[in-house]
Amino acid sequence: MYRGRLERDLSVWVEKGLLPEATAGALLSEYDARPASFSLGKVLMILAAILLGAAILLVIASNWEAIPRLVRLAVILAAIWTVHLGAAAMLRRGAIAAASGLLVIGTLSFGGAISLVGQMYQLSGDELTVMYLWFAIAAVSAVLFRSGVVAAVAGFLSWGSFAAYLNTYDTRWVGLEPWIVPLMAAVVIGLVRFTGADRVRHLAYLLLVGWLAWLYAVNENFWLALGYAVGGMLAFVLVSLPLSRRSTLIRTAGSAPAFYTFLVAMIGLFLLHVELEHGWQFITLALVTLGAAVLAIALQGRDNGAVRYLAYTAFAVEMLYLASVTVGSILGTSSLFLFSGLFVAAVAWIVIRLERRFAMRNPEATR
Amino acid sequence: MSIFTRQNSGRRYVVAAIIVAALQTAVLGYVIESRASILRSGADALLKTAPVDPRDFLRGDYVVLNYDISSVPVGSIVGGVPQDQGKKSLWVRLKPGEGGFSGIVESSFERLPEQPGTVVLHSRPFYSYGPNSADHIRVEYGIERYYVPEGQGTALEKARQGGDVSIAIRVGSDGTAQIRSLLVDGKPAYDEPLY
Repeated sequence: MYRGRLERDLSVWVEKGLLPEATAGALLSEYDARPASFSLGKVLMILAAILLGAAILLVIASNWEAIPRLVRLAVILAAIWTVHLGAAAMLRRGAIAAASGLLVIGTLSFGGAISLVGQMYQLSGDELTVMYLWFAIAAVSAVLFRSGVVAAVAGFLSWGSFAAYLNTYDTRWVGLEPWIVPLMAAVVIGLVRFTGADRVRHLAYLLLVGWLAWLYAVNENFWLALGYAVGGMLAFVLVSLPLSRRSTLIRTAGSAPAFYTFLVAMIGLFLLHVELEHGWQFITLALVTLGAAVLAIALQGRDNGAVRYLAYTAFAVEMLYLASVTVGSILGTSSLFLFSGLFVAAVAWIVIRLERRFAMRNPEATR
Repeated sequence: MSIFTRQNSGRRYVVAAIIVAALQTAVLGYVIESRASILRSGADALLKTAPVDPRDFLRGDYVVLNYDISSVPVGSIVGGVPQDQGKKSLWVRLKPGEGGFSGIVESSFERLPEQPGTVVLHSRPFYSYGPNSADHIRVEYGIERYYVPEGQGTALEKARQGGDVSIAIRVGSDGTAQIRSLLVDGKPAYDEPLY
């Protein structure tokens, strides 16, 4: 975790005399005092809430005749009201963790209540509508309570909705409905910005990447793959350029947009590799891939560890693939291993040179 | 996980709680009332079935119902099947026939007008492949599940082996079907209160 690294770095700086010990201590205690810092108690509280929410769902699912259904409906409605009013009371007292837990239970209870109504009236085939409704209610709750944890629940419900869509329509593209998925991702990102639940944004980005992957699966098409590669790379460059990095919108989005746009570009390039296996197109594609990896390292290599590793991996894999395709066919098995060994060593040398080069150039690149 | 901004007054949260809880209550109330109103004032029809028995984690035990009217003969479709593929739904006109069980008289991709002595059902949306598809179209009406007390799904399945299971439905004016009761040998197997 970040705190561990921070503590280690601070102690190194104190040893080297770069930092007085008192300052190091003050820095650490400032970090610990932040509301965002990790707290086992809070995490356990949320886990407890999820378990309790699941228990509510299961009570609804079983015990069919033990309690009359109107009573069960009344109980679950009472639970919804109690839990939300309880959360408000907790927030007034500043007990944020307890309030978050209660809100999670409240949001999950809605799923339980709606499935109970489904049982009462023998409803079938409405799962998708239910998921959309559930997501909408979670989003409203996240906004009104400004709750990051409920934003996370909404993030998972957006995945659930996408899964329900794929299930309902047999993974086919039907009408305008698939556009709901990017819309939900946008809503989740909005919630993330509003509630400050930074990590939840990955749920939205992953949903989008998954959606793009599905899009290619329904429509395996050279131009679509090319679109991913070009569009992803353009978006990546756009969010990485020093000029646009100064814009508040991009700066506050953290390192995630750069990584995910680059990931989409790499997915596109990978799909293109599947489409094009021979000839000058293949060589061009390989060179473009290598160039994209180098560009990514140049633009984001220092600040963004995830982009850096993805770019190195793409670079190395592309080199090895190129070698196996071009040289592998000429050589026998044993000489292939010999050659591969030498080649991996060469790639390692190039990558290390690249790393060093960017490390040296970076001081002047800092803003 | 920075979660809440604290500076807000407590009243704001109470208002938020009331809005969210009321919203959930309203959605549930709307679903319940829309179903109860079909049960109160819908048109009756009796359907022949052939149930099977899977399980569902969230919704307890239920039997999957399959009806004679679930496969619509293409020949019965007035105006034919639309050329374009995509999300479509069928309106199906039912008329009581032999033994009181309703059968398909005609169907259409357009809304069918009301006629005395018949009931018009609206299917759930499905993916239509256009006119060159098979001679039957499989549709669902949102009445394909019957929830039974935990562990009794198999008992019901046995009852089906002995005698006929049929489903009495009521249909709203917009064609929405609602299960009223499950009948084994013509007798209701469970109580079906309005709420």
